[in-house]
Amino acid sequence: MFGKIIRNIAIAGLLASSVLATPAGAFERTDKGNVIVFGGRQAIPVLDPHIRYDWSTRMMQQAVYDGLVKYEGDPAVIKPWLAEKWETSEDGKTWTFHLVKNAKFHNGDPVNAEAIRYSFERGLKLNKGVAWMLKDFLAPEGISVVDDYTVKFELKAPYTPFLSFLPWWYIVNPAQVKAHEVDGDYGQKWLTDNEAGSGPFKLGRWEPNVLYEAEAVADYWKGWPQGDANRPAGVIYKIIREPAAQKAALQRGEADIVEGLTPDDYVQIARAKGIAIEDHKGMTTFGIKFNTQQGPTADINLRKAIAYAMDYDALIQVYNGAASLETSPIPDAMKGHIDVPGIPRQDLAKAKEYLAKSGYPNGGITLPYVHVAGLEEARRIGLVLLDSLKPLNINVEIKPEQWPNMVANGSKVETSPSMTSVYTTPVSTDPDAVAYQYHKNSWGQYFAMMFYDNPKVTEMIDKARSSSNWDERAKLYADIQTQIVADQPEVFGMLQNRRWARRDYLQGFQFSPVRFTGEVDIYPLWVKAE
Amino acid sequence: MLTFAFRKLLTLVGTMIGIAALTFLITNVAPGDPARLVAGPNATEDMVATIRTEYGLDKSLPEQFIVYMGELVRGDLGTSIVTTRPVLEEVMRYAPATLELVFVAMFLGIVIGVPLGMLSAVYKDGPLDQVTRIFSISGVAIPAFWFGILLQLMFSVDLEWLPVSGRLPLVTRPPEFVTGLLLVDSLIAGNFSTFWVSLQHIILPAIVLSFPCLASILRVNRAEMIEVLQSDYIVAARAHGISSFRIVALYALKNAMLPTLAMIGLRFGWMLGSTVLVETVFDWPGIGLYAVSSALSSDFKPVVGVTLMIGFFFIVANTLVDLAYAWIDPRLRKA
Repeated sequence: MFGKIIRNIAIAGLLASSVLATPAGAFERTDKGNVIVFGGRQAIPVLDPHIRYDWSTRMMQQAVYDGLVKYEGDPAVIKPWLAEKWETSEDGKTWTFHLVKNAKFHNGDPVNAEAIRYSFERGLKLNKGVAWMLKDFLAPEGISVVDDYTVKFELKAPYTPFLSFLPWWYIVNPAQVKAHEVDGDYGQKWLTDNEAGSGPFKLGRWEPNVLYEAEAVADYWKGWPQGDANRPAGVIYKIIREPAAQKAALQRGEADIVEGLTPDDYVQIARAKGIAIEDHKGMTTFGIKFNTQQGPTADINLRKAIAYAMDYDALIQVYNGAASLETSPIPDAMKGHIDVPGIPRQDLAKAKEYLAKSGYPNGGITLPYVHVAGLEEARRIGLVLLDSLKPLNINVEIKPEQWPNMVANGSKVETSPSMTSVYTTPVSTDPDAVAYQYHKNSWGQYFAMMFYDNPKVTEMIDKARSSSNWDERAKLYADIQTQIVADQPEVFGMLQNRRWARRDYLQGFQFSPVRFTGEVDIYPLWVKAE
Repeated sequence: MLTFAFRKLLTLVGTMIGIAALTFLITNVAPGDPARLVAGPNATEDMVATIRTEYGLDKSLPEQFIVYMGELVRGDLGTSIVTTRPVLEEVMRYAPATLELVFVAMFLGIVIGVPLGMLSAVYKDGPLDQVTRIFSISGVAIPAFWFGILLQLMFSVDLEWLPVSGRLPLVTRPPEFVTGLLLVDSLIAGNFSTFWVSLQHIILPAIVLSFPCLASILRVNRAEMIEVLQSDYIVAARAHGISSFRIVALYALKNAMLPTLAMIGLRFGWMLGSTVLVETVFDWPGIGLYAVSSALSSDFKPVVGVTLMIGFFFIVANTLVDLAYAWIDPRLRKA
């Protein structure tokens, strides 16, 4: 064997000497067509649509699975997908969906009402991932097959946001899943790195911690928006963890689109030839959450003083202008949003006024500001806060913390820090998705680490989520937003723009603010080759 | 020699048990709730409890420890809570990439470090010695992640000579698995184009990983050579008119290699640990990257598994060095 290896090394050396350098690539060309390369920072450990749903996972789930409905556009609207139409009963408890008849799974099985029933039952019984969205209102017994292409959901109580969560409930093929069940695990082990979907792509190579490949389904039941001639042969999600390496890969053409550059990188690379920047207003809010129950920030006047002392313009500068200030706890792109009058902006006179009314009229305290370790923007915002609070004689101790530890500390009122920087992305366009973060039932979650408690707000949230009258809901959400701002459980910061850098030959990019940070709908993408 | 090897084997088993126990305890007393993290940001308490029960995290720490050690004795490293796969399977999947990187880096460190150290000693305080001094100080002082990014910018972005990251181009399929080392497997398969592209991919990370090791080997070898070259038997050899090349390359180098060998053994273990940074910068899918992503997710069992793996290779490398010592210096066999 060694003789063979040595002989082969010699031949390889000769070959090597004839090739001096690797030319810069572009999109990958294969026998079947162009393959688009997406450079993303995080891995996709588990593809099962009922188990996990972070942004990179959901991006690939959206590629290989279909839901009853789908979010599209900016502002995001719910569009029919596997369900061509639906109706709701007057009491808002019964939802009936009528399915398209031409949808089929990748193995050729039809997508029918039983597949829908099984998928929802599976999600609810596994009690993981997406289950929280519906479990309080929907039991597995509440889902029934009316006929082959009609399925009915009977909710335990009226729940208006029901439809807004359905785009994230993907439909699996029961036959394939059952065939791979081990000890009644609902096929969890198999679906970790396999798929049983009906989406526009099927799974290609799956190399954990390296790349994940999706191959286009030529006869996708819904067709291709870019036309058959233009549709890509597939998409490769390549893990590129470092922003510098992402930038280099994009410049070299080793990636066609990347998501994780630094604010400075976006400014620099925008000037490069052949690069285009996608820059869109997102729904991810940034807030400095106060612990409203314990410690100095339990004092509302101190919280108000901090909110008025904050240099909000500097927040925008941290993102080189690619952000906009929050005008309400509910993001602009969400239904029911209002610009809350009097939301704090920097006003030192007012800040000192509130400080004088607080338990710390002369300041003289040190407050911790916790941010995710390694998140440069959050650290820089800490420096802005440090500068902003100096005139109040309040010192800020900037503390980087690993995300798991931050979540653990924020889950208990006793350990939740006085100030924590938190980015939150709502999972639906229904205002309940944000309003419920301020409900007492959310205590223990990372986005509720302020332990906000206002019974009046809690009551309004409960009432709004069960009402099917939008005018009534809109009024309630307006009041909820106003009251939350008045109670100042956090410094309402800004909405960071969602940005991607792509090669200019990559076409068809469609932004939708309801998608998670970094997530791209790869279905409409295509390569405009010269 | 057999007793020597047996004693080393016993030490290996004892050390592995110690590493497992210590790492398990350290990782588990660290703050963080892996079940909550995996359950997702909106998960309810009962959803988190489902995951806790599934992975045995609802048991007390001593109970978890006993279960883990029991599994370990049976050769089971547990299941990753993040990827839901057996840790052993994942470690075995990622280990070849790391070992390949370390082997190539070590090869570079030895074939460049030893001759340079030798030449620096022969031409002590000359221009070559000064240059290698700067080179070796830089090797120890420059942070790996910064050096890696610098090389990427120069050789990948500006000159476009080498790829930015990964082990293979995206559309290249890996050769049939034999050893998991792409350079070796591609040669066995006679697939020279894959050999060539995998060589292109490994050059930059291997240079970054080898740099500090190369610097250490160079300095140690230089210092030892200087001492040996002043010893009586070398003076005697010179008096006998033996050629300088023969004296340096044959008589002096063998004796100077003992501390260098020790350094190589130590550096091997150090390199296995250092792959964490290099693998992150170059997206090299090895155990270093696996350990980092697991640690950041509070996924403890992979962290323990990788630590055991590194510990194992570290001990094996040092045992081999000890055996080589004994081979080179017969006095040690009797010690």
